[in-house]
Amino acid sequence: MRYYVRRITFYVITLWAAVSLNFLIPKLMPGDPRQIFIDKLMRRGGELTPQMQNSIDLLFGADDDASLWDQYVAYWGRLFQGDLGISITYYPQPVTELIGQALPWTVGLVGLATIISFVLGVGLGAWAGWKRGTWVDSIIPASTLLQAVPYFWLALILVSVFSVTTGWFPRIGSYDIFGFDNGPEWSWAFVGSVIYHGFLPALTIVLSSVGGWLLGMRNMMVSTLSEDYVTTAEAKGLRRMRVALTYATRNAALPSFAGFGVALGFVVAGSVVMEQVFSYPGLGKLLFNAVQASDFALMQGTFLVITLAVLAANFLMDIIYGFIDPRARANV
Amino acid sequence: MIRSRARKRLLTAVALVTGVTLMATGCSGSGNGEGEETADGGRTLNVWAGTQTPIVANFNPYFPNPLHAANGAIYEPLFYYNKAQASDPEPRLGESFEWTEDGLELTVKLREGVKWTDGEAFDADDVVFSQTNEAAKRDFIVSVEAVDPYTVKWTFNSPQFTSEAQLIGTALVVPEHIFSEVDDLVTFANENPVGTGPYKADTVTDAAYTLVANEDYWGGAPKVKKVRYLGIDANQSAEDLMTTGKVDWTAMFVADPERITADGRLSMLNTPQNPTTIYTCVSVDLGCTGPQTDVAVRQAIDLAMDRTEINEKAFAGLSATASPTFALLGRDDRWISPDVEAESPQTADAAAASKVLEEAGYTKGADGIYEKDGQKVEMALVTVDGWNDYNAVGDLLVEQAKAAGISIVHNKVTQQEMSDARAAGTYQLMVGGITGPVLDDPFSIYRQWMTTDYTRPVGEVMESGLFNYPRYTNPTVDAAVEAAAATNDEDAKKEQYAIIQTEIARDLPYIPVVVNASQTFVDTKDFTGWPTEDDLYAFPPSWDTVSLGIVLSKLEPAS
Repeated sequence: MRYYVRRITFYVITLWAAVSLNFLIPKLMPGDPRQIFIDKLMRRGGELTPQMQNSIDLLFGADDDASLWDQYVAYWGRLFQGDLGISITYYPQPVTELIGQALPWTVGLVGLATIISFVLGVGLGAWAGWKRGTWVDSIIPASTLLQAVPYFWLALILVSVFSVTTGWFPRIGSYDIFGFDNGPEWSWAFVGSVIYHGFLPALTIVLSSVGGWLLGMRNMMVSTLSEDYVTTAEAKGLRRMRVALTYATRNAALPSFAGFGVALGFVVAGSVVMEQVFSYPGLGKLLFNAVQASDFALMQGTFLVITLAVLAANFLMDIIYGFIDPRARANV
Repeated sequence: MIRSRARKRLLTAVALVTGVTLMATGCSGSGNGEGEETADGGRTLNVWAGTQTPIVANFNPYFPNPLHAANGAIYEPLFYYNKAQASDPEPRLGESFEWTEDGLELTVKLREGVKWTDGEAFDADDVVFSQTNEAAKRDFIVSVEAVDPYTVKWTFNSPQFTSEAQLIGTALVVPEHIFSEVDDLVTFANENPVGTGPYKADTVTDAAYTLVANEDYWGGAPKVKKVRYLGIDANQSAEDLMTTGKVDWTAMFVADPERITADGRLSMLNTPQNPTTIYTCVSVDLGCTGPQTDVAVRQAIDLAMDRTEINEKAFAGLSATASPTFALLGRDDRWISPDVEAESPQTADAAAASKVLEEAGYTKGADGIYEKDGQKVEMALVTVDGWNDYNAVGDLLVEQAKAAGISIVHNKVTQQEMSDARAAGTYQLMVGGITGPVLDDPFSIYRQWMTTDYTRPVGEVMESGLFNYPRYTNPTVDAAVEAAAATNDEDAKKEQYAIIQTEIARDLPYIPVVVNASQTFVDTKDFTGWPTEDDLYAFPPSWDTVSLGIVLSKLEPAS
């Protein structure tokens, strides 16, 4: 019990620190959102008319004169009401709504891709470790090469081949924006469209991340196979499949599962580059645009959601580890 | 044992999946497989105007950047000022206008019989409201009144000839019966806009929004019945969609346009408008420091610059020739004084640059760099890292200046650092743009970018609306701008412009580099009626305020 109390206390303190930092960092960041907003308008072309300047002044309002402490207290107050403020870049959309729209796409696509890449990588890694020293070893350089290739480059090549040249896959969006003018709906056509549009982005993520899982798993597998209990199991004459799966893979996969927990936490942060390349409406892109535009409310909101997700994933992993590995509980 | 457990797990998984599937089936509504054909057989026009996702419904023209369609397709101005070519203002909601001799009163006759899309009649009250509300009002306006239902009269406290294009050209007219009910005009999202323009808003999702033709439009129902504005996040994606036939109208920089126009579907229009320049922090009195505060150094940089090479290497050969008068060559030729050189030198002349420096008392040091009073001609040039065209200008200029004995150090900084340095005047040289005027007259550049009223001392941050970043102050220019503003007589204005042009072509607070390309790609296979090189009836980019509505109203599906 002491283990769980300690863990929970630790996470509460971490959460408080993370939220406070989340409040403070944008305050300390240089940059005048108003100036950046104007620059953005000017860079796109067109004259900044006096009406527009007047509007911008009215919109951004006077500088907040409240003391930092008062702002901090007010920030917590709003947080408890679930109010994350209003985005300037996507005015007048509340930050909670923007995040609410983006999150399902990110979690769906990046989450699924992470799971696929994990299952595939660990599975292949276990197989490669089991078959070490044979031709199977050659998949390792191939997969690490895919991982070493810069992600955006891999993505752009796939886009160029599969959506521009051959036209097999769509180029942008999370569904057919030419066909569904009314937005998402519950229909088979729409679900199909979502899967179709998600395939290529998911493939790029899987291709670029499977190598890491594979290599890690393969190496753990190799070292586990030299453990005495594996030798014992083989000596007992157990079936080879049983030795491979229940004795070797199961133990070798433990560190991978810890890594998987963390990876799942970061799923929420999305994949900034993927979302940019495919115009995919996820959280990563929202964060990217918020930082570029010094859109503090949106920045704080996305950071907060990401922080919470990472903390929650770690917490969950801690709890699960406490169950599956008694040593973790003993070592408090 | 293990096997049976595994089977049990598998069964659970199957049950779960089936359950989800059943749920999804239960929730499925009507399928929307709407193709590209609209009801009467015409094709939907797909536009990218630079909008990024997520798209947020905001059709309020008082918001600084509403959805593009609000500015021209849904709301209209009184007159259209075409900045693409020299021409008279074209009547829209207004029919004619008249100034008094002293420039203190402006009277506009309005078009009769125009209806808002909710059926209400458009009249002078709408115009008065649109000009006097909190978001639109200007301090030089004394009053705006409806003389009769179709006549509006402005009264000013000083001659306002120069505000004409802004008052009746860029200001959009909104329905008083709706907007007067709104508490805060700037923060109002106006999700269901009621306008007078050729199109009505239809649907908005976070990925795209659509417009449908306003069948009761005063100018006649538009021929293209449906327009879809796409949200696309990267230029590369937009380029790919253009080559695959998904986008019919967009404006963006593409270095090798032939690749896109090769299949004959898309045509490109290049309408350069906005000059790229080197901002130089000029005024010692206002706190600028460095060799560039000496006019001889600025002139030497101007002469040492090889603009042909810069155009080829930094702008893919697509930009146009800059003029030290900042009048747009071709369109504004009538405004250029015969006493100044109309074009900036297109090739480098290191010898001439050296001569200018030597005459000003500079001597060449052992390292080949000029110096005076022990001070080397060495300056820092700032560009924003990642703005590739500007970065290339910087790199090329460093080399070109060096050949003329001028040392320039090129620093690539973040946009934030550039923005801060520009607003506070804490830079020596900076590659920067000037935004062109909304009509065929360089006046707004002279006033907003070059007069003392539009600048602040170094260290003081310039508020929005002030653009004289080089801190250029010249009483002769100030006086001439003021004199030009007070007259509506073209010859009198030309006289003042000649004075301004002589001063700025010599002083070079902005060293002109090129006039930026502005490429627009249009689908000429499926649609006709686009502006062309020969008939630039409107400025063609898909994002341009007001002109996008003019273009949309003239398009027709190709039969």
